[in-house]
Amino acid sequence: MQADDRDSVAATLHPPAADAAAATALTPRKKTSELHEVFRHLLRNRAAVVGLIIIGGFVFVSVFAPLFSTHDPLRTNLGNRLQPPNREHLLGTDELGRDLFSRMLYGGRISLNIGVISVLIGVLVGVPIGAISGYFGGKLDILTQRFIDIMIAFPGILLAIVVVTVLGVGVENVMIATGVASIPIYARLVRGSVLAIKEQSYVAAAHAAGLGHLRIIFRQILPNCLAPIIVQSTFQIATSILWAAGLGFLGLGAQAPTPEWGAILSNGRAYIRTAHHLTTYPGLAILLMVLGFNLVGDGLRDALDPKTR
Amino acid sequence: MTATASLVKPILQVQELKKYFPIRTGVLSRVSGHVKAVDGVSFDIRPGETFALVGESGCGKSTTGRTILRLTGANGGTVYYNGEDVLAATGDRMRHLRKAMQIVFQDPYSALNPRMTVGSAISEILHVHGIASGNQARDRVEELLVRCGLEAYHSWRYPHEFSGGQRQRVVIARALALDPQFIVADEPISALDVSIQSQIINLLEELQDAYQLTYLFISHDLSVVRHMADRVGVMYLGKLVEVADKKEFYRKPLHPYSQALLSAIPVSDPSIKKKRIILQGDVPSPANPPPGCPFHTRCPYVMDVCRNVVPELKTNPAGHQAACHLVNPVS
Repeated sequence: MQADDRDSVAATLHPPAADAAAATALTPRKKTSELHEVFRHLLRNRAAVVGLIIIGGFVFVSVFAPLFSTHDPLRTNLGNRLQPPNREHLLGTDELGRDLFSRMLYGGRISLNIGVISVLIGVLVGVPIGAISGYFGGKLDILTQRFIDIMIAFPGILLAIVVVTVLGVGVENVMIATGVASIPIYARLVRGSVLAIKEQSYVAAAHAAGLGHLRIIFRQILPNCLAPIIVQSTFQIATSILWAAGLGFLGLGAQAPTPEWGAILSNGRAYIRTAHHLTTYPGLAILLMVLGFNLVGDGLRDALDPKTR
Repeated sequence: MTATASLVKPILQVQELKKYFPIRTGVLSRVSGHVKAVDGVSFDIRPGETFALVGESGCGKSTTGRTILRLTGANGGTVYYNGEDVLAATGDRMRHLRKAMQIVFQDPYSALNPRMTVGSAISEILHVHGIASGNQARDRVEELLVRCGLEAYHSWRYPHEFSGGQRQRVVIARALALDPQFIVADEPISALDVSIQSQIINLLEELQDAYQLTYLFISHDLSVVRHMADRVGVMYLGKLVEVADKKEFYRKPLHPYSQALLSAIPVSDPSIKKKRIILQGDVPSPANPPPGCPFHTRCPYVMDVCRNVVPELKTNPAGHQAACHLVNPVS
C-alpha cells in the first residue's frame, strides 16, 4: 500500500509507462455500461454459465412444451396406469394413466412462473419495507417490525394458505400467496443489512453532501445489501415452488387436472413404493431448477460486486 | 494574530453545544442515563484559519465535528455559520449550508461506497445540487481528482482499487466538489501509514491556500497539530479545557491536562531530557462524570475547590482561554 501510494504520487509528477498502460487498460470500462460489465463477468464464471444453461433449458422446454410433448398431458388412460418409464411413455404414467413426461413439460410453465413471480413480489415489497424500517428507525421501525413479527409467527405455508383463502383458489393467487409469505423474510433480512450499512462513513458523507433520504437508501445503501438478497432469492424460488406444491396438495393451488410439479410430486407420494418415478422425476426437476438458480445467483452476486470482478 | 484577528468576524460560532447519547437498559430499553459526549462546548473559528481540536479517544472531539455538520442531532446549544443558525436551518437554507460545510473522514476505507466508481460518487453530488451533469460533471470530477494528486482516469475506478492514501485523496476531492469554505477534517490522517500522512497534510495545506479554506482539524496527534493549526482547543470528557493560539499553547500550556499531553509528544532526539508528566488512572466514564472539574480525578495539582466547583473557560489578557482553578482562582 505504501509503495503503491508513492508510485501514484510519482505518477502525478512524471507519468511512467506502466501508468499509461493502466490508463489504456481501463479505458474500455467507460465505454461499456454497468449492465454489460456484469453480464460479461457472469459469462466468465463457469458455474454461473452452467446455471444459465439449466434455467435456459427449462424456460425453453416450457415455452415450447407443445413441440416436445409426446402425449396430451390431461388425457387419462386407465388401462395404462402407473407404467414405469418405457419407449411409449419416456417417464412412465401416473395413477390415471397420463403421460408423466408431457405433464412435466407443461407443469414446468406453471412452476417456473410461481417461483419467479412470487420471489419478485417478495423482493419488490419486502426489500423497501425492510430498508425504510431499518434506515429511519425509531417508532416507524418498531411498528413495522412488530407487524413483521406477526407475519413471521405464522409458518410460511400457513400464511400462504391464509392469503389463498382470502383471494380464492387458483394459480395466480398461489403466486401472490407465496410472494406475500416471503415478504417478512426479505423485510427482516434487508433491515439487518441496512442497520449495519447506515453506520458507514460513506452514508454520513452522503448526508453531509446533502443527498436526500431516498437517494441514500436506493443508491448508497441497497446496492450494498445485494449479496444476502440474491442468496435468499435463489433459495426462495425453491421454497415457493414447494409451498405451491403444498397448497396444491391441500386443494388450494393448481386445480386437479392442471399439471404442476409440486402437485405431481405430492400426488405421486401415495405410490412411492410401487411407482417411484412419479416422485423421482418431478423431484429431480425441482432440484435441477433450484440448482440452476443457485448457480446463477452465486455468479450474479460476484458479478455485481466490484471487488470480486 | 491574537489582538487583531479577534476583531475579524468568525466564520463559525459554536455556543454551549451539547450532545448526549442515551444509555438504554433492561427489557423495555428505558433510558437510564446519558453519555455526555459533548457537554457545553463553545468556540469560534475565524475565516481561513485551522482550528485544531485535540484530546484523547472518547473525549467527544469527533462528535463535536459531526454535530456541527448535523450528522447527528444536537441536544442543546447553537452553531452559527456566517451568522446563520445551522442547527435550525431547514430545506433550501440547509442545502445551501451543506454546500458550504463539508467533512473529511478518519477511515478512508469506510468513507467510500464500495459499489460506486469514484467518478459516479462525486458526480452524483454535483448532480443533486444542480451544479453540473453529463460531460460537464465528468470534467469537474477529473479536475477535482487531478487537483488532489490523482489522475483523471481514476474516476472510472472503484474504491477497492486504491491504496489508503489515494482513497483519502478521493475523500478530499469529494469534500471539495461543492466548493465549500469550511471543512471538518475528522482525524484525516490517523488511519494512514506514517509515510503517507505527510502527503495528505501537505495536500490539505495546499488546498487551504488555493481555496481559502477554513478547517476544523480534529486530531490526537499533537505534532501534526503543531504543524497544521493556527489555534488549538483541548477537549477532556466532553468539555473544552483550553483554547489558545498555537504558539502560545505550545510555549506555555495553562491547563494541567494540556501540560501532560504536551509532555507526551515523542522527541526525535533521545539525548534531549524532558519532564514527562504521567497521568494516573483512566478517563472517568462520560456517563458518570465527576463533580466539579472533570479532570480533578487525575490532576496532579488537585485542590479542594476542584472537587466541587466546575471551572469556567476564562480568557486571560493574552487571549488564552483555560478552564482551571489554578489559572483562574475562585474569588
